[in-house]
Amino acid sequence: MKTIVSCRGIEKVYKQGAVAVPALRGVDLDIEAGEFATLAGPSGSGKTTLLNIIGGLDRPTKGEVVIDGQPIQRLGKNRLAELRLHKIGFVFQSFNLVPVFSAMENVEFILQLLHTPRVEARERASQVLSEVGLAGLENRRPSRLSGGQQQRVAVARALGPKPAIVLADEPTGSLDSKSADDLITLMENLNASSGITFLIATHDPRVMSRAHRNIVVSDGRIVVDERRTTANAA
Amino acid sequence: MRGLLVSLAWRSLGRSPRRTLITFVVVAVAMWVILVFGMMFTKALSLGARDATVRLLTGEGQIHAAHYLDDPGVDRAMPEPSGRLLAALNRSPVTVWAPHVRVPATIRSEYRSLGITFLGVDPRKERSISDLPRQIEFGLYLKNGTDASIVLGKHLIERLKTRIGKRVIIMSQAADGHLAEQSFTIVGAFGGADGPQDQFAFTGLRTAQAMLGLAGNISEVSFDVTDDSALPAAIDSLHRAAPPLDVQPWTAIEPFAFAIYQEAASQEVIFSAIMFALMAIGIVNAQLMAVFERTRELGLLQALGMKPRLVVLQVTLESALLIGIGVLIGDGLAALTFAPFRNGLDLGALAAGAERYGAGRVLHLQFQPGDVATLSVAVWLLGILTTLWPARRASRTNPIVAMSQA
Repeated sequence: MKTIVSCRGIEKVYKQGAVAVPALRGVDLDIEAGEFATLAGPSGSGKTTLLNIIGGLDRPTKGEVVIDGQPIQRLGKNRLAELRLHKIGFVFQSFNLVPVFSAMENVEFILQLLHTPRVEARERASQVLSEVGLAGLENRRPSRLSGGQQQRVAVARALGPKPAIVLADEPTGSLDSKSADDLITLMENLNASSGITFLIATHDPRVMSRAHRNIVVSDGRIVVDERRTTANAA
Repeated sequence: MRGLLVSLAWRSLGRSPRRTLITFVVVAVAMWVILVFGMMFTKALSLGARDATVRLLTGEGQIHAAHYLDDPGVDRAMPEPSGRLLAALNRSPVTVWAPHVRVPATIRSEYRSLGITFLGVDPRKERSISDLPRQIEFGLYLKNGTDASIVLGKHLIERLKTRIGKRVIIMSQAADGHLAEQSFTIVGAFGGADGPQDQFAFTGLRTAQAMLGLAGNISEVSFDVTDDSALPAAIDSLHRAAPPLDVQPWTAIEPFAFAIYQEAASQEVIFSAIMFALMAIGIVNAQLMAVFERTRELGLLQALGMKPRLVVLQVTLESALLIGIGVLIGDGLAALTFAPFRNGLDLGALAAGAERYGAGRVLHLQFQPGDVATLSVAVWLLGILTTLWPARRASRTNPIVAMSQA
């Protein structure tokens, strides 16, 4: 199976004045295509730092990260932005939609950044919005959508460019339990039907219980990496 | 992609209507002030000063005998144009010309004697080159070159304590060195600026030549050309037609008026620069605030893969729309301000001040669409340039830090 994410010896040290604070202490991790994995751990364990490094939003102090065959530590700001645009879909905890754009435009915008022709971008945006269950709500702005619906738009936006992997940081953190459940089901179904790779940083036991692989980070190290069969996960 | 970038920029204007409105007002008022005071009035004063000089007696250029300008006396006369010079004066780019006899003289009424400049003119030609014949407020202008009456400034008539229909004596040195003296009947009084009213007295060209013993000779030829750009070519052509004569543009003959004309252009630049600086401070503040309020969103866009240069473009587009609309509003306000004064602004009680500046009582405000467009585009582009700083700041946002902001 194709490796989408490969991390070797990742270390990250933050400077707080003269004090060096290690956030990651030698992380080795591979994520294969089609995986539905969670990255769990207590606050301050380093899971968000690891997710940010995998997503090219932060740079490791030491170690090597390869995304879909592309080593990223020596890429400049523009090349990293290009990599994120082409290969990585992001879903953040607090929806993070452009408030003056409709649901359709939020998805379309990213496709247009990829120079997708306008008509094609519109068709694709419409298709992914329909896949996440938002058919009929395409022209609503975020302020006229519920929290769950906004997070679905964020998922649709992440899926629009057909990325190699979707990185989700606490995607259910701001949702009520019904909306959170619906979102997990949606991501699970997308993974099952389209083989989209998901890596989800979460505290939420409902997410972890439905993932195929649970990776637990503590004190900057992976302390548990447990693979489960689909039957177990269900 | 451009479509949604423009759309995002446009819709972002509505995020903070108060800030957008304040920026519109700042830009529109600055543009209005630049156009009305920096352009319309300053140009009107500068062109007024130029026209007051050129349209008095000077013309856009003059021909004299060599060294006349160093010592303008009756002994430095030149022959009336003939031959090649006459041909050059009668063809383009020269449009009109008029000969003058001009000498310093003394005018004497029953009560007073005053120093003046005595001029012999050809009234028909004078009308085409000077506005003075049209400024007759009482009586008549001269009929022809042999007219032996005199036209004086209204103010001079008052100072001489005389009136139309009365006689005055003109005394001046004749060509042969003796004192020439002749009596003239006042037939007309001209108005306009005080300076010319006190300085000039006009009679027919032939009459002045006869009185001063200048048969066939004159002091100067004033001429106009098709436009300012044609003046150097006209001077060159006239000089070649009569090499011993001195041909000069009005800028050399009236250096003080030219200095005012030039100063007005500098004032326009300085005034516009000050207004622009004030406007730029307003724009930069508003855009920094706009960028600050959207730090999280701009960070998100970069996290999703928007390149830093596109963030700069995004913020710049927003500014371009904001400033562009403000500039158009300012242009509209300036046009509305100009409309009631399109036939000139009578300065009334302020006329004396304008005359000191060299301009006339009526200012012809200048609102040329070409100049307005050039200034507007310049302000728009410079405004956009000032927003590159906030735009660059936005592009340097660290996505992780930006998105962690509440």
